[in-house]
Amino acid sequence: MEKLILRRVDHAGEEMLLNFGPQHPSTHGVINFLVDTDGEVMKKAIPDIGYLHRALEKIGESTGYPGFMPYTDRIDYVAAMFANEGYAIAVERLLKVEVPPRAQWLRAIACELCRIASHLVSTGTMASDIGATTPLVHALRERETVNDLIEALCGARLTYNYLRIGGVAFDLPEGWRDRVLKFLDHFDTMLVEWDRLITFNTIYIRRLANVAVIGKEQAIDYGLVGPNLRGSGMDWDVRRDVPYGAYPNFKFEVPIGRGKYGTVGDAFDRYYVRVLEMMESSKIVRQALESLPEGEIVAKVPRKVKPEAGEAFSRVESARGEMAYYVVSDGTEKAYRVRARTGSFTAMGIIEDISPGLMVADLVALIASIDVVAPEIDR
Amino acid sequence: MPKETVEQYIGNVTDTVSSFWHGLSITLSYLLRRPITTQYPDRTELPVRDTLPPRYRGFLEVDASICTGCQACERACPIGCIQINLEKDAANPKLRVVTQFDIDEAKCMFCGLCVEPCPTGAIQHTREFEASQRSVRNLTFRWADPENPFPVYKVVKGAEYFPRAPLGSILRARLEAKRWDAPGPEFLPPDPNAAAPKKAGPGAKAAAAKPAPAKVAEAKPAEAVQAAAQTAAPAEATAAPVAPAAPAAAQPDGGAAAAPTPPNPGDGQPA
Repeated sequence: MEKLILRRVDHAGEEMLLNFGPQHPSTHGVINFLVDTDGEVMKKAIPDIGYLHRALEKIGESTGYPGFMPYTDRIDYVAAMFANEGYAIAVERLLKVEVPPRAQWLRAIACELCRIASHLVSTGTMASDIGATTPLVHALRERETVNDLIEALCGARLTYNYLRIGGVAFDLPEGWRDRVLKFLDHFDTMLVEWDRLITFNTIYIRRLANVAVIGKEQAIDYGLVGPNLRGSGMDWDVRRDVPYGAYPNFKFEVPIGRGKYGTVGDAFDRYYVRVLEMMESSKIVRQALESLPEGEIVAKVPRKVKPEAGEAFSRVESARGEMAYYVVSDGTEKAYRVRARTGSFTAMGIIEDISPGLMVADLVALIASIDVVAPEIDR
Repeated sequence: MPKETVEQYIGNVTDTVSSFWHGLSITLSYLLRRPITTQYPDRTELPVRDTLPPRYRGFLEVDASICTGCQACERACPIGCIQINLEKDAANPKLRVVTQFDIDEAKCMFCGLCVEPCPTGAIQHTREFEASQRSVRNLTFRWADPENPFPVYKVVKGAEYFPRAPLGSILRARLEAKRWDAPGPEFLPPDPNAAAPKKAGPGAKAAAAKPAPAKVAEAKPAEAVQAAAQTAAPAEATAAPVAPAAPAAAQPDGGAAAAPTPPNPGDGQPA
């Protein structure tokens, strides 16, 4: 990176070094891109990350096992429930605790609602980055309802801290099930309206089709996960292929990119996969509410969480792709090591390789379509 | 790119225009729907706190009358924003009293982990959230008065009900008593420079009630003068060094409360 800066200083003319970010409305957080441009065409865009690094993994070594749970919310503030879930599962594997079925179902309901909220932000801001400002407001309006529901469930709108080691913190509040079903009925019609409003808008399609194509092989090579990987045509979903929690009991489809208006793996495919995933999440929540078993909501976990020495690994399908936790215990009340693997970090890696030949304006479409969240990159 | 024919070109234009109007028709239909935006804070039908769900995690409230002093909340807090100190009662050595129960709400991340281990439900999240303060030090809530410590609550065996004050009522009274722009205390209890924690207590209260108690006025300038004397000064020069010394002591916590009170008693001192 330093070499690039030094070289650029000497040049004059059409070529220039453009600093995109760190604070820019379309960078989805505090990220800096060093863009080496020739006129409007990029030679290379180098992401410069680390502005939001808060040493959360290190904090995991200094707080106890239950005390780290609220910190995991901060890893991905748009979809905090998944970070909770991944960490909880990892510690449960360390403790060899069986989670009661009702808690598993409640986790699935909360997580899928959270996925809807997260994808609404993702698709809404993508439209906004492309230049259509209206859809963002529509998306945030729906997300507000999801936030209200989750607030009634666990008391917070953003940093939920809903999951506990061995279960969940609260049971369903009174009348919540009907509220959720009412919202889902509304949401399904809203998604149809959403498609009419923006997804199948000709201008929007032309802006995204065949832009920033990531091939299947390339996506696997770079370790892309979640909707970005599925957008490239790879049929892989942790919920279905490495089942955890209550997911084996639900029937849902895994949408993949099929090159609807262009090449498989273009920006539109990654966007459309998210829209379809919201529909699937809505289905899962309905099924889970129907088949919700009775029973305890939290397993018997000793008040002092003190697992035997060992290590545990967990993976969950977060809204931004596969999220993995690796927790090492040395037999004390504090973890020896907590490691979180997040989807946004690997997604940033591919930008440098995809960017040559793209227009500067398409960089915005690329960043928006891989749906990065800055604190998840840096942690 | 293959060259477009005229038909394709015109087709693209009509496609774009119709697509544009298609989207715009949805936007226009929202002119006729009921708006969902609510105007905060003046045009809400109810106070917003009353519309929040019961599980809402707002500011913490402690009911001292049923606090058992077990310190479970202090241990559960991942960031350590709760500070509890217990002492034996001087009059009755068998009884323990809580001399300090401070919650730094400015640090608190409202995770709710302290509420869960509480055996009596003394510490609870309320639905209060409108408690912004000009001085960040005012966000440290002192639930025990160091001058007048409260005894710990003895749980009756087999008790299922604890006489807790209505949730939020204690906090509400406190918030209403303190204006948003009230000056903060000069220093907060865990003050490393304080000679004795018992004397530090009333100082914190004294900032709110301006006519300071005589005890504080005596204790503080004496320290300040000593410090000034160590650094530089012959007796005449005290009035000048005292003034900067006092704000400097208040600085590290970033309080806006570099209060004008300390220099005044300082002026009186050398005479």
